Amino acid sequence: MRPGLFCACLLFLVSALVFPVDSAFADTGDMTIEAQLIWGTNDSKPDAKLKPAGPILSEKLKHSPFKWDHYFEMHREVFKLRLNEEKTITMSRNCVVSVTNIGGDQVKFSLFGKGKLANTVTQALPNGQLLVTGGDAENSTAWFVVLRQVDSKTMETNSSSR
Amino acid sequence: MTEEQQLKLQAFLDGELPEKDTREVAAWLARDPDATALLGELRNTRKALADFGKPGSAGVSPASALKVPASREFYWSKIQREIERSAPAAVPVKSNSLFTLFRRVLMPLGAVAVLALGGIITLHQFAGGQHSIQVNALLGDAGAFTYRDESQGMTVVWLSYPAENKFAEKPPADTLPAK
Repeated sequence: MRPGLFCACLLFLVSALVFPVDSAFADTGDMTIEAQLIWGTNDSKPDAKLKPAGPILSEKLKHSPFKWDHYFEMHREVFKLRLNEEKTITMSRNCVVSVTNIGGDQVKFSLFGKGKLANTVTQALPNGQLLVTGGDAENSTAWFVVLRQVDSKTMETNSSSR
Repeated sequence: MTEEQQLKLQAFLDGELPEKDTREVAAWLARDPDATALLGELRNTRKALADFGKPGSAGVSPASALKVPASREFYWSKIQREIERSAPAAVPVKSNSLFTLFRRVLMPLGAVAVLALGGIITLHQFAGGQHSIQVNALLGDAGAFTYRDESQGMTVVWLSYPAENKFAEKPPADTLPAK
């Protein structure tokens, strides 16, 4: 190989590895996060007003080690987070969460129960991944806070199927 | 036709040319009638000289007694061709220039750099970032454990604390139903 050609190839390779096009030009570090409070129970229809969780999410939760038969969406919030921005979301009277975009598709998730910080999770949350925090509720039921990154453009059309 | 070409033809006739030159002269003969004519003359001359002195020939002296005067140039060119023919194929001389040295060092260094960079980026993307999880259970009774399901793309953090603390019970109307 000619030295000039070799150097050009080397430069191209290094550039492609160090400065990927998508991150260099498209990724601004912003995230759009969807947070859902989910209730898991074995009762098929405890309340007619309850909205079932999306089929995809239900299937994923059914595949987890904690198998409840039915999952209902109690609350949903979608919010944008700029880099290093923190937002506090009230999911229910007793459940408040705080999410921080710490960059590189990673979030810091804090869970507050009755005003007290109960748990903090730092986790990469790329598109398609779920961060589920859960615990027991009364009468052998369970609560879940599901966090995921969503595409803000397709959010409206896809949210019902999740 | 130059003198050098004439000498080359003579060497061709004597079978003294290297193989490459022989092919070149053969090709030259095929396209140049003057060269072909000269080669014919040379061939006839050589044949005449060879026949000279043989029994039945018209000559009076034996062939071994004849001396054909060879020019100084032909004599030395003959020696030169003989040397060239017997010499081994020329080995390209390696340049020891700074650029060659730089290239020799740059190529393996560049390859190592690319591999190292690729490795670092791969580690960063697939090991260091996506699935690493750090969980801190902050309340005294909030035991937590983590379950990671790669196939579902899901990380579950399970807390044991809220059951006793009625974390999710008696929700407002927009959250969990009262049982």
